[in-house]
Amino acid sequence: MVRLPLANILHHKVPSALSALGVAIGVCMMITLAGLARGSLGEVADRWEAVDADLIIYPSNWSDNITTISGGGMSDKDAEKIKNLAIGDNAAVEYVVPIYLHRISIAGAEHNVVGVRPGDLPRLLGKGGVADGGRVFDPDNTCARWLEKKLTTPSEKVVDISEADLASHGGLEMIIDSRLARASGLKVGDKVYSAARNFTIVGIVPAGAMVRAFIPLATAEHLFYGGTGRYTLLMVKLRRDARLGAVIEAVRKDKTLKAVSVNDYRGMLEDRFGIMYLFVDTVNTITLIVAFLFILVTLYTMVIQRRREIAILRSMGASRRFILREVLAESLILTSAGAAIGIALSPAAGAAIEAARPLLTVQITAQWMLTAAAAAVVGGSLAAIYPAWRAMNVDVAETLSLE
Amino acid sequence: MEGDEYILKATDLHKSFGGGAAREHVLRGLDLRVRRGEFLAVMGPSGCGKSTLLHILGLMAGPNEGTIIIDGLDTTGLGERGRAELRREKIGFVFQRFNLISVLSGYDNIALSLRIRGLDSGGTDELLRAMGVADVARKKPSQMSIGQQQRLAVARAIAHKPDILLADEPTGSLDSDNAQTLLELLASANRQDGQTIVMITHSPAVAEVATRVVYMKDGRILDENP
Repeated sequence: MVRLPLANILHHKVPSALSALGVAIGVCMMITLAGLARGSLGEVADRWEAVDADLIIYPSNWSDNITTISGGGMSDKDAEKIKNLAIGDNAAVEYVVPIYLHRISIAGAEHNVVGVRPGDLPRLLGKGGVADGGRVFDPDNTCARWLEKKLTTPSEKVVDISEADLASHGGLEMIIDSRLARASGLKVGDKVYSAARNFTIVGIVPAGAMVRAFIPLATAEHLFYGGTGRYTLLMVKLRRDARLGAVIEAVRKDKTLKAVSVNDYRGMLEDRFGIMYLFVDTVNTITLIVAFLFILVTLYTMVIQRRREIAILRSMGASRRFILREVLAESLILTSAGAAIGIALSPAAGAAIEAARPLLTVQITAQWMLTAAAAAVVGGSLAAIYPAWRAMNVDVAETLSLE
Repeated sequence: MEGDEYILKATDLHKSFGGGAAREHVLRGLDLRVRRGEFLAVMGPSGCGKSTLLHILGLMAGPNEGTIIIDGLDTTGLGERGRAELRREKIGFVFQRFNLISVLSGYDNIALSLRIRGLDSGGTDELLRAMGVADVARKKPSQMSIGQQQRLAVARAIAHKPDILLADEPTGSLDSDNAQTLLELLASANRQDGQTIVMITHSPAVAEVATRVVYMKDGRILDENP
C-alpha cells in the first residue's frame, strides 16, 4: 500500500529529509516550549505546595492573586489573631509562619527572596534541609534580637544601621537552593551583592524549597520595610481536626484578612501567566504551520515533477481516490517520520535547556507528545490536500503526449 | 455483450485543439470498428491524429463529438470515474516510451498495475519469465536495457488480461531485434489469448504482424488494406 509513496520519498531523499526535518523541528519545539512554559510554572507551584502549611493569609485590601504580592501588609497583631483562631471552641491553627516576600537581584537575575525566622525555615523547605557544609542563618536569633532592640528603642537620632553592623550580627546571611547555586556558581562562603548589601551564602538547600533564596526575617523587614513586625504573608498550618473551608470562612469574617488554600497558588500562577501559555501556543502553531507549508511545497513540487507518473497511474485506471491516497500516504509518511524524530528529540532538547539554564524546568509530558503527534497527522493531511488535488486533475492524454 | 462482433466501435469522432484561428481539427468524423480478437494496425503520416485517436479510444481524452462503444457500453457521457473503471477493467496500454514508474522495480511496476485493478500479484513471476525479463525484475527501469523495458511495459499492459490492448508506436524506440521480439509477444498475446490489439505505427514492416491494417489521413480512416 505504501510502496509507491515510500519509493518516491526515498527517490527524492533531500527534499523528503528536509520536509521531515521541518516537521521534526516543529514537533520538538511544540513539546519543548509547552513543557518549558508549563514546567517552569508548575515547578514554582510545586515548590509552594511543598510548604508544610495549609493556608496562606494575606491582607483583604490587596490583590486576590497573591503571586503579585510583596511588602509588609500584615503585622504581629494579624499573626497573633490567626494563631488564636478558633472554630467554635476548638483551636484551629497549629502554627503560623510569617514571611516577608520581596523580589531582588541575585547574581544578575531577579528572584523572590523570603525573609523567615530561622526556626520556621524547615517548614518552607519541602523535604530538604541545609546541605552538609552549610548552616541555617542567624541560628541563635542574635540578629533578630539586636535589630528589634535597635529599631524599637526610643531615640532622638535617626536609627542608622550600617552594613558592617548588620553583617557582624549575622543579618546578611543567605540560604539559596541548589538550582540557583548551580546556575550562578555560588557556594557556601561566597559573597553575593544583593539589595545593595553584600550577603554571605551560609547554606544550600535542595531544589524544591518554597523560593530560591531565604534571608532572616528581621533583615528582610529592616531592608525592605524599614521596621520590625511586618509581614507579607502568613503561612498557616491547621490542626488535624480543623476544616479548611471553615477556617477560610472564619478568616473572611475578619474583613481585614483573607485566606486561600496553599493549593490555590497553582491556579493563581496560571491566571497571572496564562498569557505566556497563549504566547507559547501561538508560537507553536506558527511553527507547525510553517513546517506544514514546507511539506505542502515539497509535495507540490514532487507532484509537479511526477505529472507523468501520475498520468501513467491514471492511464492504468487509477481512480482519483487512489491518487489522493498515494499523495496522502506520502505526506503522512513524511510527517510521521518527522513527528517521531521530533518526539524522540524533545527529552534531549528539554535536558539541554535545563543544562544551559538550570533555573528553568522543562516538563516533557506524554500528553504533549500525543498532542504534537495528532497535530502532525492533521497538519500532514491538510498539507496534502492541494498537491493531491493537482495530482488528481492531471490531464492524462496531454501529459503522456509530451514525449 | 459477448455476442457483439465488435468490441470497439468509434462513430463520427471529432476532436480539435486550441481555439479561434489557431483551432486545429485533428479528428474529422472518424469511424472505426474493431472485431473481438482482432489485431488492428492503424497507419498514417505524422500528425494525422493517430495518437489522439488512441487516447480517445483508451478513454484518456474525450472527443468533441461522436461516440465510442466499448464491449457494448456507450461511453458517451461517462464521468471520469466511469472512464477510469473501464480503463482498469478492459484496457491495457503500451506506449512508445514505455512509461514505467521509474522509482519502482520491474516487479513492483506490475504489482502496482494489478493493485490498481484490485488484483493480487500472484502469477507476476510467471509473466515476467514469459516476457524474458524475470532476471531483471528486481531492478529499476533505468537499470534495464531498452528492450527489457519495453517487454516489461507489455507485461504490465497484459498482466490483468485486458480485453483490449492499445499500443502507441510500441517499437518506435527499439532496434530491429528488440522490435521483432516485441511484435512476436504482441502477436502471441493476440493469437493465444485472443487479446484484441489496436496498434499505432507508421512502419509497414511493423504493421505486417497485424491481421488488419487501416490508414488515417486528415483525421479520418481512409480505407482498409488499400
